[in-house]
Amino acid sequence: MKAARFDYHRPADLTAALTGLGAAGGKPLSGGQSLGPMLNLRLARPAALVDVGRLAELRRVEERADGVLYGAAITHAEIEDGAVPDPTGGILPAIASGIAYRAVRNRGTMGGSLAHADPAADWPTTLAALGAIIHLTALTGPRESRVPDLIRGAFDTTLEEGEIISGIFVPRLSPDARWGYRKSCRKVGEFAEAMAAVLIDPPRNIARLVIGATETRHLVLEGRDIEDSAVLDAALAGIGIAADPARARLFRAVVADALSAAQTSHVSA
Amino acid sequence: MSLVNLTVNGRAISANIEPRQHLGDFLRENLLLTATHLGCEHGVCGACTVLIDGAPARSCIAFPAALEGARITTLEGLADDPVAAELREAFTVEHGLQCGFCTPGMLMMARDIVLRRPGAGEEAIRHELAGNLCRCTGYVGIVRAVESVAARHAGAAPVVTRGTEVAPSAFVSPLTLPVAGTLVSKQAQDAVTPKAAPAASADISFETLHNPVRMTQHFEVPAPLGEVWNVFQQPEKVVACLPGARLTAPTDGRSFEAEMGVKLGPMAATFRGAGTIMADEATLSGIIRGQGVDGRSASRVRAELTYRLAPLQDGSATAVAVEIAYELKGPLAQMSRGTIARDLAGRLTEIFAANLAAALTGVPAASKPAALDGGALFLAMLKGFFLRLFRRG
Ligand SMILES: Cc1cc2nc3c(=O)[nH]c(=O)nc-3n(C[C@H](O)[C@H](O)[C@H](O)COP(=O)(O)OP(=O)(O)OC[C@H]3O[C@@H](n4cnc5c(N)ncnc54)[C@H](O)[C@@H]3O)c2cc1C
Ligand code: FES
Ligand code: FES
Repeated sequence: MKAARFDYHRPADLTAALTGLGAAGGKPLSGGQSLGPMLNLRLARPAALVDVGRLAELRRVEERADGVLYGAAITHAEIEDGAVPDPTGGILPAIASGIAYRAVRNRGTMGGSLAHADPAADWPTTLAALGAIIHLTALTGPRESRVPDLIRGAFDTTLEEGEIISGIFVPRLSPDARWGYRKSCRKVGEFAEAMAAVLIDPPRNIARLVIGATETRHLVLEGRDIEDSAVLDAALAGIGIAADPARARLFRAVVADALSAAQTSHVSA
Repeated sequence: MSLVNLTVNGRAISANIEPRQHLGDFLRENLLLTATHLGCEHGVCGACTVLIDGAPARSCIAFPAALEGARITTLEGLADDPVAAELREAFTVEHGLQCGFCTPGMLMMARDIVLRRPGAGEEAIRHELAGNLCRCTGYVGIVRAVESVAARHAGAAPVVTRGTEVAPSAFVSPLTLPVAGTLVSKQAQDAVTPKAAPAASADISFETLHNPVRMTQHFEVPAPLGEVWNVFQQPEKVVACLPGARLTAPTDGRSFEAEMGVKLGPMAATFRGAGTIMADEATLSGIIRGQGVDGRSASRVRAELTYRLAPLQDGSATAVAVEIAYELKGPLAQMSRGTIARDLAGRLTEIFAANLAAALTGVPAASKPAALDGGALFLAMLKGFFLRLFRRG
């Protein structure tokens, strides 16, 4: 339960970090709340860690008329506590407060969670539903991506070697947007066995259902499809969930709960 | 070694620290501050909770090398803290501990709850304490203790503890003075990769799989039944069809030793192990069983692959049905929750079938990887999957 040997680098700025990551075997370290366990269990044995968690570029927050750009190293607890602006009328703090435990939230970051790409993590499903735009940076330049394009499978992203997540832009919701989020966990703070997020934002023409904890990529349904049980069943079958009736029932129930929550719960944006 | 400057319980400490040493070990082994307990060492149990810059955090997954300038407070450092004093009293009154293993972490979290959520009721406290496991008490006494102290603070202004200063205590264990933070250099010590002893096939005992993940796949191979059957009887051929796998010893045709690499995002494991092949020509079916261990993470995998062949069309092709059952245990199962591989079954089978067809027809397999969503990672995950399938199998 002790990590294998690695070198540690704390670059002074983003460019130095990207250069450092180019060096053989370097992995980014942010809050260490997923990487730490993997290191201790020796499931990850990087030659070097490049600390991006304290880079000024990844710790800034920029409020814009149409949303908020969070640096990738903003922690779950900072979002939970309202220490940073929130364009979603309380959705982000509520989600943050349901991630793991306070001692983990104090260090774990939004960017780290996306990069880790655990299918059962809370931010990927939430940010996919909110239509967040992920800002990525590499020595070759920046690019942007949506969550469903960034995360292509369990623990599998389209991040290139040496590329990092620098920020997450969360669009501002309309005042009468509605939201539903449900996850089924065996214990508070455990990773979910099924999860679903629903965003209905008529002025912005959005009706979106995102299903997580699928063991593979997220399922995203839009428009009328979100209420169509035949479409849902086909989607679940498509990723193998229908094969296990108990799991399929759990997913259907979680989706139904999230949908009905979205019928009633107006966000207070 | 990195030179790191920290403040621990109010005292400035400079130490040369191996980057891989976690904060919990540094506190206990270098500073002899043994109130911090280590249970799981992967962030789950909460026994190791300390305050980093005033806020609770797991010391087992924080590395001092990355904490330059941080202020650390351990339970020793809360000796004079007023809230901690109330909590100690309440834990005594309410029988909030038995063996005491979880108690340092409980007190650290409890202090944070009382400050951050003064007046918190039972439900809120149970939620907040969900990340601190206790093997003894059943939690009732702990929750009552925290509730009683939180109730006394009801109405107080909530304090977000992040960034707050914790006044150092007057008491300092004599053991911890003076603080040198020296570490014997282990540089000379070579990195030794533990050799996973591949079980000699004679010692393999194949118990029934407990609650395995099961899946069935069907595919067709453009070769006559006899040829396909022959391939399944030759471990080296079967293994060659699995991406990332290889035999580690010559096989006698009925048992084999092999290894296979798995990669799941940043996680990597190399399973080495042994297996057996059993076949029943009368029913055109057989079972390949195997099990393997990743020597470095101690993850284990056991799998059973049952295959059944049937001639197709005019006999020029063969239908193959495989049922794979596998069981993954240990750290890798914990991190991936054991089931991640399921969604790769289809695509892996595709590779396996393609490789099998190629082996039978002499035509090299079309480079499937590109079609498979690209990326070595993904391919590697496929390997992992097969690994799981076959390693045990
Ligand atoms: C006990 C426990 C329970 C948990 N429960 C939950 C839960 O219920 N829900 C949930 O969502 N999460 C949960 N988590 C995970 C937690 O939220 C982590 O904080 C998060 O997944 C990773 O964030 P991090 O900042 O700690 O990343 P790190 O651990 O530092 O890094 C994780 C991975 O991302 C890479 N990385 C980090 N930052 C970047 C970047 N900026 N760009 C590119 N790559 C990067 C790293 O190289 C690494 O591979 C839990 C963790 C623990 C220990
Ligand atoms: S020892 Fe750190 S959380 Fe278990
Ligand atoms: S008192 Fe023994 S673990 Fe909690």
